[in-house]
Formats: sequence, structure tokens, C-alpha cells
Amino acid sequence: MNRTRSLLKYSITRLALAPIMLWVISSLVFLLLRVAPGDPVDAILGNRADSAAREALRIKLGLNEPLINQYLNYINNLMHGDLGQSLNNQESVSKIIAKTLPASIELGVAAILIALLIGIAVGFTGIAKPEGKTDLAGRLFGIGTYALPPFWIAMLIQILFSVILGWLPIGGRLSPTLITPQGSGFIILDSIKDGNLIVLTSSLKHLILPAGTLGLLLSGIFSRSLRVNFEKILNTNYIEAAESRGIKRNNIIFYHALPNALLPILTIAGLTIASLIGGALLIEVTFSWPGLALGLQEAINQRDYPMVQGIVVVVSSLVVSISLFIDLLIACIDPRIKY
Amino acid sequence: MKLINLFLEITLKFITLALLFSQTSCTQQKSNNLITIASKGKIESLDPAQANKLLSIQLISALGDTLYRVDSNGKLEPRLAKERPKLSNDGKTISIPLRENVFFHDGTHFDSSAMSFSIKRFKEIGTLNYIINDRIIDIETPEKFLLLIKLSRPSSSINGLLTSINLTPISPSYYSEYKDKFLNNNIISTGPYKLENYSPERISLKPFEKYWDQKALNSGINYINLNTSSSLFSAIKTSQIDILLSNSIEDGHRLSLNKSSQKGLLKEGKGPAMQIGYIAFRTNSELLNKQKIRQALSYSLDRELISKQVSYGLRSPLRSLTPPILQINSTHQWPKYNPKIARKLFKETGYCNNKLLSIPLTFRSNVPSDKLLALTWQEQIKRDLSDCLEISLNGVESTTVYKQLSDGIYEAVILEWTGDYPDPYAYLSPLLDCKKIKNNICEEGEAVIGGTFWGNQELQDSLDKSELLVGDERLNELRKVETIAAKGLPIIPVWNLNPRAWAQPNLTQPKFDGSGRLRLDKITNNNEQN
Repeated sequence: MNRTRSLLKYSITRLALAPIMLWVISSLVFLLLRVAPGDPVDAILGNRADSAAREALRIKLGLNEPLINQYLNYINNLMHGDLGQSLNNQESVSKIIAKTLPASIELGVAAILIALLIGIAVGFTGIAKPEGKTDLAGRLFGIGTYALPPFWIAMLIQILFSVILGWLPIGGRLSPTLITPQGSGFIILDSIKDGNLIVLTSSLKHLILPAGTLGLLLSGIFSRSLRVNFEKILNTNYIEAAESRGIKRNNIIFYHALPNALLPILTIAGLTIASLIGGALLIEVTFSWPGLALGLQEAINQRDYPMVQGIVVVVSSLVVSISLFIDLLIACIDPRIKY
Repeated sequence: MKLINLFLEITLKFITLALLFSQTSCTQQKSNNLITIASKGKIESLDPAQANKLLSIQLISALGDTLYRVDSNGKLEPRLAKERPKLSNDGKTISIPLRENVFFHDGTHFDSSAMSFSIKRFKEIGTLNYIINDRIIDIETPEKFLLLIKLSRPSSSINGLLTSINLTPISPSYYSEYKDKFLNNNIISTGPYKLENYSPERISLKPFEKYWDQKALNSGINYINLNTSSSLFSAIKTSQIDILLSNSIEDGHRLSLNKSSQKGLLKEGKGPAMQIGYIAFRTNSELLNKQKIRQALSYSLDRELISKQVSYGLRSPLRSLTPPILQINSTHQWPKYNPKIARKLFKETGYCNNKLLSIPLTFRSNVPSDKLLALTWQEQIKRDLSDCLEISLNGVESTTVYKQLSDGIYEAVILEWTGDYPDPYAYLSPLLDCKKIKNNICEEGEAVIGGTFWGNQELQDSLDKSELLVGDERLNELRKVETIAAKGLPIIPVWNLNPRAWAQPNLTQPKFDGSGRLRLDKITNNNEQN
């Protein structure tokens, strides 16, 4: 079987398994939410309303149905692409997700770019003079970013740049005095499309702190990974062979070693961005970034079952899709990969 | 190595450029002269029928009017109603003459059919429709500007109910497609502002040119949501926002802002306290079924100390179940802190002298002030009554607490209450009402839902009677209810919390109405006012 056919077979298998995986995840979420104490009626009415009113609201929200009926309805709707309605405000879950997802993607992509920039720069400095002072500092930086609690560093950065220096806004996605441009929901792209420089500037300013903080925290993974991979690759036979052929050191690093050293970085970047879309909660909370993770947290607090289920399904689908895409990309770049 | 250096150089230049870009002043662009207000929480809906959160209620109050409003002295003030409601002889019909020449934001006229449409819609789909469903049976519109409300039973507390934001009239023509569903992202009502822009995190309001009463004093309002107390605090301190509403701000930040306002760096406005914090006892439990023990616990609570430790004195100690603005009691009914009497009562019930009463106290783990209250009371008991009483703490998430209250799981639990409308009945009934009482134990009613399981026939009779009376007679009956509850002690009130708002010094002082809502239309720049 040639490589293209085996790759195709692998892709089809992964694609075929994806719905099964999503079904397992969504069923687990459905079940866990119902097992958790409290339901949306308790979240909406709190410790008020008599039992008749509570029951009426329960019927209105469809929570009086037997669990199996609720589950079958949910799966049936899911198969038809319907994520249901939020119990909190009766709005379509798909619409709510469509409004918040661009904010999360914008933050995730910007954070990864910053993380790559810092991570590769720090990793490179280590490679330039292995075991030197800068290398040691880079390694400490890498370990430090793992260890820093995200909420703590986010608050410190917020206090420094927003409160003490006053350079950047405290939170949100856009200045309150500006109107969010209509379009895709990606404010940066929409403002570029509209040629609205004021909105673009404001949205970039609002993005710097959350993306910078997240990028800084993630950069350690990239710097450490690059450093370790580079070291390994520079000691391989083919690099030694290249050196013995008299190829310049810079050319060896950039044309022979770097592509191989970047492969694991690509995998990490892909998986990180996928998880960031649903998981940058502490950063979103600290910087009041209206993303999906924040929506998920609020939905859990409100016991908004369809909303939680919808977000989990969307994030899971993104993780599955991105990881498949990364696998295929690596297979295309690296001919040594076999499936 | 040159290439590596080049890469590093580019990276450094990028970071420098980013910093330079960020330094081009982050001061908010206030080109549109709108006042920016921040608070914690998303506005998930602007539909009056859906509103059940303080923030939604606050914004809807600026976008719409109600039939009546409670003024800052606690008196009922007609708004869309022309005069005070008139009650029929049998007490079952209320007639309300309505104001003429009032317009909705879509240009249509407000009249009795619009009011009827709005009340019926709330009855049909409202999230909190239980507050009227058992009382209002029908709405009639005999004249264009006369509304008749038919009641199932005489109910004097209905006056307060008519101030409820949930009964804000909406334009029937605009809502024709939303008779049986919510319209979350828009509102067409009669208020001093109309909606300019909506997203759950950011809302813009512009003054309504055809407003029937005094027009808004400012050019408009921007509302933004900031998620953490520290973000809100920092935003007002660095002038990134004009006004901060205190709904969810931490007590430490509240104190610091209070001090800033005393120094003249900010202007503080304080509204009437509508929220009360209390401890509910499960009176059918083996531990707390003795009135003397509940009395002893009540005497053991040092409200002043707790308020000082938890909120730096910004929460007012409370020994009544109704907020002070509702003015039903000039004297406090619940026992005042007195450890000597507490010890005496514990001894009389067989405790102290090497026998320790152990009470499990539950608090809502997601409410920081509850946890601090619980911890402070625990420590205070260790100081005062360590040989008689021991309090063990148990933090449970609020939604779970609400679910399990009526299951009788919690011996003692810290809760809070805000009446659905500003009337003593909206506090006393939900906390004490009981439909079925047997041996002072409530088997069915609000007391079961509230987790106290306490019933008292005399109290119940007074509570029911109060609904048939008006004026001082009604107040006397409600006072009697409080007196009986203060003796039975199913609940210990702890404190009440005044809503506060802080404004930048260039703005006028924030003002609240009698329902604890910030008057957005009264905020203006000092210079504009002059």
C-alpha cells in the first residue's frame, strides 16, 4: 500500500471515529449534568417561588420529561445539527456559541502566535550558546512559565500595565464608546474589512494583555520543546555529515535542523490552540474577555444544560478536527511518518 | 549565527513596537460623550418578562416605566398611572387611571390595552410570573386610559407589586411576534432612554426625545461588564469608567472606594437596602427544635463585630426581617447580642458544663461574604461560648443549597433575600408563610421551601389578615407578624446591604430610587449641569 493510500485510510478512520467520540462525550456530559445536584429551576428561581411555580417552570423548560426522553430528544436534535435552546433565556445555543466563538479563536490564535514568538526566541538563544548564561536563563524561564499560576500572573500583568502604567485597558474586547462592527464576529478582521482604524486599534489594545499573558504562559512549552529537540537533532548523524561536507553552520541550523525541530512544535501548537478555545477560563475571567470558556463557566453555574452540552460538543469537534488536520499536515511535511 | 541574531532583532523590534503602540494612551475614547457604567454580570435579556437579575432590572428601569415607583422616602409615586390605585369595596378590583400622551420608543401610543398586553404576557411567559399568577385573574380595559385589575382575593400588597419591573409595559405592535416568547436583545418601552446597541457584555442607551417626563440629563449611557471585583475597582480608580455599580464588588474594594469618596476623589451614592442576609434554622431537627436553643443562638450572634470584620462596617446590622425603608418597625425585634443570656439559655437546655452543642452551619461557597460571616461567627463563638457551643462549617454551592433546602438537609444555613417588589409582605410572606401547620411544624408552604419548616398559626392569621387591610392597620398586623417570628426564631436576620455606586468627581453624585435602582437619567457632568 503506498503512503498516500495509507494516509487516506487513516484519515477516513479518524473521521469515522469522530462522531462516535462526540456521541460518547456528549452522552457523558448529558449524564454528568443531570447527576449534579440542583437544576436550572433552582438556578433561575433561587430560594424563592413555591412548589407549584417551580413545577410550572420545570414543565416549561421540559425538565419534567423522563430522563431517557430528554436524552433521546437531545441526541436526535444533535444529529440534525440543533444544539437546542438556552434554558436561561430561550435563545438558540448555536447562535450564542456563534457570537462567543470568534472571541475565543481570536484570543487563542493571538496567544499562540505570541507564545511561538517568545518560545522560539528563547529556545534559539539557548541553542546559540548551549549551557551558557542565556541558555540557563531560558530554561529557568521555561520552567517558570509552567509553574506560574495563570490567575496570579494575569492579575499582576493587569495591575502593572493597566493600573500602574495605564498603557492598556483593563478588560473587555473593545472600548465601551465604540460600536462592535457587524460581520464575522472577529473584530480585528471585521475592522480591517471595514477600514475602521479606530476599532482596529482599540480591539488590538484590548487583545494585547489577555493574549500576551496567555502567550507568555504557553511560551515555556515551546522554548523547552525547541531547545530539547534542537539539541537532539544537532547530535544526529545527518547533521554531522552536513558539517563534514563543509556546509555553513547557519545553513545547517535553518535548512537541516530547524524543520525537524519544529515538527513537535507544530503538534503542540495545534493541540494547544484547540484546547485554548474552550479552556482559557482564568484569562477570560480576569480580562473580562467574552469567550467560550467564560460562557461555559456561567452555563455550568446556571445549570443551563443545553448550553453546556452545546459548548462541549463544539469544543470537542474543534479539538478532533484540529488534531486531525495537524496529523495530516505533519504527514505531508515529514515523509518518515507512517500510518 | 547572523540569522539567529536577525531573528532575535526582529523579535525585539516587534515587542518594542507593540509596547509603543500600547503607549499611545489607553484612555478610553470618549468622543461620543456617553457615560460609561460598569458592573459585574452579563445582561442576558432585556425582556421585562424575563428579567430576574438585579442588573437586567437596573437597565430595564432606565428603558421603561412602571405604573408606580417607590420614591426615595419609600412612598408610592404614580408614573404611568395618573394617580394612586383605587380599590373596589370588595377589595377585588383595582382601577388605575393611566397617563395620556406617553409614547413607546417605536412611536406608538401607550394606553390601557398596551398595559393589559404587557401584564398578560408576563402572566403567560414570565420567569417570575408566580408573583402575580395566584392574585391577578384578569385585566380589563373599559376605557382607553383606564385599567381594571381583577384579583382572586383582596390583596393590599398588590400596590407594591405594581412597581415591579416585570410589569414594565412594552409596545404591543413591536412585540406582536413575541407574545409567547422572549425578546432578549431589544426592548421597546416608554422609558427615558431607548436602546441603541445591545450585546450581553456591552449596551448603549440614548435619551428618548419623546419622553413624557423630564428628559435624561446626559447624552446617553454605555454599560460594560467586567468580570472581577479587582477589574471593576481598577477601572474606576484609573478613570477607565465613569461609574461603578457595586452589585458584586468585594467588601475590601467597597471600603477603599468609600474612603476615596470621603477624600473627594470619587462621589459615592447609596441606595436603600433591599437585600437582607439571614441565618435559617431547621426547626424540625432534633438539634434546633427547642425554641430556647434558637434563642440562645440568636443572643450569641454579635452582628456589629461580624459586620465590622466582614464588610468593614459597610453592611448594616439588622434585627428585623424587613429593610428599614419599608418602615414597619421603628424598634428592632430580634434579640441583641448578649453572651451572658446565651450562656444562661444554653445551661437551661442542658448544655455547657462539659456538654457541647455542636451546630453544623452551611454557607454558600460561591458567596464570599457568606463564608466570612460563617468564619467570623465561628471564631466569635470560640471566644465567647467555647464551653457551650461549637459551630462546624460546611460550604455548598448556592444552586445545590437551594435545591436541598426543602429536603431538610441543613440545620442552619446562611441565605439572603431581596423582595420581588418593595413591600413588607414581599419579605415576610416568602420567609414565613405556611399553608399547612401541625404542632408548630410547617408541612407545606414557603417555610418548607426556605428550609425552616416553622409554622405558627397566629402568625399565619396575621399575615393573611394584613392582605385585607390598608394603612396603619395593615402595618400593625405586619408588626405583629415580625414580633411572633422574633419570638419563634426560625430565622435570625444578620445584616442588610445598601446598593452603592461611585462616580468620577466630574459627575454628579449617583442617586437611587426607593427600590434601590440607580437613577441613570439623573447623572450628568457637573459642567453640563451648570
